[in-house]
Amino acid sequence: MTDEREPPEIPLEPFPVHERESPFPPLAESLPPPVDPRSDWIQAADAHDLPTRENALIALGRFAFPPAPPLDDEGVAARDRRWTSRTVVVAAVFLLVFNAVSPLNWSRQQAPGWVQGTVQQLSEVWVAQLAVFGVDMPRQGVRETWTAARDARFAGQEPASATP
Amino acid sequence: MLFPTLAFGVFFLFVYFTSWSLDRENGRRKLFLLLASWFFYAQWDWRFVALLIASAVLNWGVAALIARQPGAKKAWLVGLGVAVNLLILGFFKYYGFFIEQAAELLMRFGWERDLPLLEIVLPVGISFFTFQGISYVVDVHRGKTPPAKSLVDVMLLMSFFPHLVAGPIVRASDLLPQFDRTPRLTRAMATHGVLLIVWGLFKKTVIASELSVNLVDPVFFDPSAYSAFDIAAATYAYAVQIYCDFSAYSDMAIGLAALLGYSFPRNFDQPYRASSMQAFWRRWHISLSSWLRDYLYVPLGGGRKGLVSSCINVFITMVLGGLWHGAAWTFLAWGALHGGVQVIERLGRAAFGDRRVVPTVVGVLVTFHIVCLGWILFRAESFDLAMQMLAGLGRIGPVVALTPLLLTLIVGGLAMHWLPPRAIEGVAERLKAAPSLTLGLLVGAAILMVEAVRPEGVAPFIYFQF
Repeated sequence: MTDEREPPEIPLEPFPVHERESPFPPLAESLPPPVDPRSDWIQAADAHDLPTRENALIALGRFAFPPAPPLDDEGVAARDRRWTSRTVVVAAVFLLVFNAVSPLNWSRQQAPGWVQGTVQQLSEVWVAQLAVFGVDMPRQGVRETWTAARDARFAGQEPASATP
Repeated sequence: MLFPTLAFGVFFLFVYFTSWSLDRENGRRKLFLLLASWFFYAQWDWRFVALLIASAVLNWGVAALIARQPGAKKAWLVGLGVAVNLLILGFFKYYGFFIEQAAELLMRFGWERDLPLLEIVLPVGISFFTFQGISYVVDVHRGKTPPAKSLVDVMLLMSFFPHLVAGPIVRASDLLPQFDRTPRLTRAMATHGVLLIVWGLFKKTVIASELSVNLVDPVFFDPSAYSAFDIAAATYAYAVQIYCDFSAYSDMAIGLAALLGYSFPRNFDQPYRASSMQAFWRRWHISLSSWLRDYLYVPLGGGRKGLVSSCINVFITMVLGGLWHGAAWTFLAWGALHGGVQVIERLGRAAFGDRRVVPTVVGVLVTFHIVCLGWILFRAESFDLAMQMLAGLGRIGPVVALTPLLLTLIVGGLAMHWLPPRAIEGVAERLKAAPSLTLGLLVGAAILMVEAVRPEGVAPFIYFQF
């Protein structure tokens, strides 16, 4: 004798009549009618108990539509590429505006021609404009300081102009 | 077309934006990068683009045959591939030198002959792309890398413009897998790349150029006109100049490749803080020293057959490494000096074991000064001038060439070896979180400051001649 309950007997005669549990979900008609949640359920719900942020936001129903899924690798790579391109463009535009001396020097080293002439004229005008507004002062200041450092000599040395 | 020029800046901007606009078509992207690389190389001499293409086709064909052939035939094929590569290199780089030496030798024996002297123009970067070709063929033979999937991959491997003319020597096993798919660009890579470009620009156009024009070139041209102090300063200055020049090129190459999404191996790692010659070669031109180790020292037998054999092999390797730098006796002597010191170090280790015989500081100072002695041989136009430099170290006289600014640059150039290792990576890690506007303005301002102090014009990089 034992305390364990015996398994229910499955009638075998004349044919097996036991229906196995269906692997499919129940039909809607067979389900009980849905019951509205309590009106204060949202205050009681704790988003931190839910598995992911997106689930929490959807479950709490604070948004008009579900938030987009997180970026995949491709999306992150595209975003980083755009960030890099913006950095490169900002640096290039900055140099184009404030380092007009560089295209001017370049144009002076080229053989005369339409491109060279145009670049030279534009650069000269732009360099003059920068000087008018005083925007070239930081560059000039650094250059003058550097030139002064280059011309400096140890005590007893001949001055810069006399050095071979 | 040199890196620190406006023309290259415009070229790179075009390549950068066009290549990333082709990111959905990796094949077309690689083809575009290949065409851009050939355009870049053609700025020196368009005829040598054909040499570059022929060399790539040769290495691609030999590697494909090696992959298909069984057993013993592979050894013949790899031998053939290496021999043809060396023949190309030998013809362009060493033909004139060997003919001159042969004529001189014959004259000494009274057999004077009119040997066929040719005015051969050395294709820029030939030593680098030939070594890459050899490493590709040998690596396929050794099974370290599979043969490339297409000819375009091999052509791009050998011609990719960031490393084409002065390294680093990027091996097939490093770069071919990266060609398989469109690369990804991360903020960390981009920030690191941009910082390396700016840092390289500063080292090359400010430190190396200033030292070269105002101290190194005049003193090495006529050492007899200067005193011991100037000659010593010029020697230290050349040590700083060659480091700032060559490492700047490597930094910019790594940075440019990073902005295109490719990763190159590190080529320098604060070499003047090495406490032995062996350590120096683990920090200086790492891609060449590791190439020489894997494709010359190891095939010679390496250290497998005992101390004597390893000493002979390292000496041969360093002498040939010297010859790789140029067809001149001064380069051979430079290689022999480095090889000889490494032999002495090996014998010392065999005698005393791994225990430290001299303090690290002494090791660093001794190694640095041996390296500087080697730089005199490396830089001097001839043995006579090198001897004049050495003799001048005993000449008392006034300081003429050294100025406070040049002294500051020498000290600064050496001091950068004691910055924290991977300092650039550390800064990049912090800056990668910055908005693109901030980083762009910072980069622009840094380049503007470099432009403000750099001398007019840009001298070619020292390693272009190799």
